[in-house]
Amino acid sequence: MSHLVKRWIPTLIAIVSGLVTLGGYLIQNPALVYFRVHLVEWAVIVSGFAFFLGLLNILRVHGRQIVRRRQGWFYSMTLLFAILLGLLPTVLSALPSLPASVPSQEEVDHVVFDFIISPLGGSLAALLVFTLTLGAFRLLRVRRSIGAVFFLLIVVVILLGSVPIVGLERLAGARDWIINVPGMAGMRGLLLGVALGTVITALRVFLASERPHSEF
Amino acid sequence: MGGYLISATQIHIEAILLLGLSSLVLIVLFILRGRKGPRPSMRQVPAFQDLRDETGRAAESGGALHIALGSGELYGEDAMTSLASLQVVESLADEAVSYSAPPVITVGALTLLPLAQDILRRAYERSGRPEAYDPGKVRFVAPSPVAYAAGAANTISSENITASMTVGSFGPEASLITNAGSRHDLPQLAGLADPRAISALYPTTDRLAMGEELYTGGAQMTGERRYLVGLVAQDILRIVVALLVVFMAALVLLGAY
Repeated sequence: MSHLVKRWIPTLIAIVSGLVTLGGYLIQNPALVYFRVHLVEWAVIVSGFAFFLGLLNILRVHGRQIVRRRQGWFYSMTLLFAILLGLLPTVLSALPSLPASVPSQEEVDHVVFDFIISPLGGSLAALLVFTLTLGAFRLLRVRRSIGAVFFLLIVVVILLGSVPIVGLERLAGARDWIINVPGMAGMRGLLLGVALGTVITALRVFLASERPHSEF
Repeated sequence: MGGYLISATQIHIEAILLLGLSSLVLIVLFILRGRKGPRPSMRQVPAFQDLRDETGRAAESGGALHIALGSGELYGEDAMTSLASLQVVESLADEAVSYSAPPVITVGALTLLPLAQDILRRAYERSGRPEAYDPGKVRFVAPSPVAYAAGAANTISSENITASMTVGSFGPEASLITNAGSRHDLPQLAGLADPRAISALYPTTDRLAMGEELYTGGAQMTGERRYLVGLVAQDILRIVVALLVVFMAALVLLGAY
């Protein structure tokens, strides 16, 4: 019985759900579309529970960092403090008699997203430019091959070809050709391979050869 | 009843044909080669071959391997990429647990967290030491890809990490993780599907599995027939698709299409 519950029932549920959802995408039959939409909605609800697990995981990992005073424990404390701060408006909005001077949850959310999360995200994204440049220089140091030289040459042509400098019009043409001809061909080949890999992985789940959801 | 009738114009014929052909190839291969017959051979992908060695090195040095699984949720378009990255963890888990050197796994997708934890927990159960399992070895960092990459980079910097594997659904932000690894002179391995991530990580990784190679992780590391058969099916389909592309291009050149 345990074998059946742990092994075959989850596999059967996964196969049927997967086939119905796939069918709903491929065949616009109202019944299939109805089940597909509902199954996807259920997936979103289940991922809501995963959000709770994620929160518990963060509390556990960073709580342990703080208790054991490991390297970076102060950052862990800042993170936990930020989580508590983020929860505060939701808790306060649940209070029946809230003073008018207390900002609403929407107002606090706006402040947090517009003035904290967006600028921080933007700064981190800007940092990527430096990490990529650093990576390119490191490439010359650690991997002195024809491929590395070729890679850097193309990077230089693409970068210079993107800058509107008088006298570099030919580089702009070369840049367009690299992006549209060999770049596009390589990208399409890569994406075709990824698509085939995706299809085969999905079919292996349908054929119960891949079972990330059951106890075997 | 009339509403449930299927109109031919509402069916994605090409997709159904591709899936039908893929299923047929896979089923036939499972029947012919799934349990017996000559073992399918495969091309070696160094990124996954080296991962096993790095697990051993981590155990010898008393450190841990870091595996970043990316931000691809299991209900989105990156689901299969994330599933392929979980295969890598699954292939590695038993060996890492037997060495008492479990990897530190960071995830940026909430649905990946319980699955990665489950893989590690099951490996401990199989080794007969369920009490040694530590759920804190799998860490959810942040739901936003850039914040996740920054957090995973911090894990590399602040813990005794001996090598780093970046596998799964990533964008160019993955370079934050590999950059942290490079600063600590760690061996860097990666398996990526997104062309933007591949170009960003090409300069900073020692071994890079690109595109479809990402889906060979399970086969490369375990050599199990169920994975190998999938690889053979993938190769057959690739030849069919390539022939179709050439055929269609020829038709267009001849003006017949």
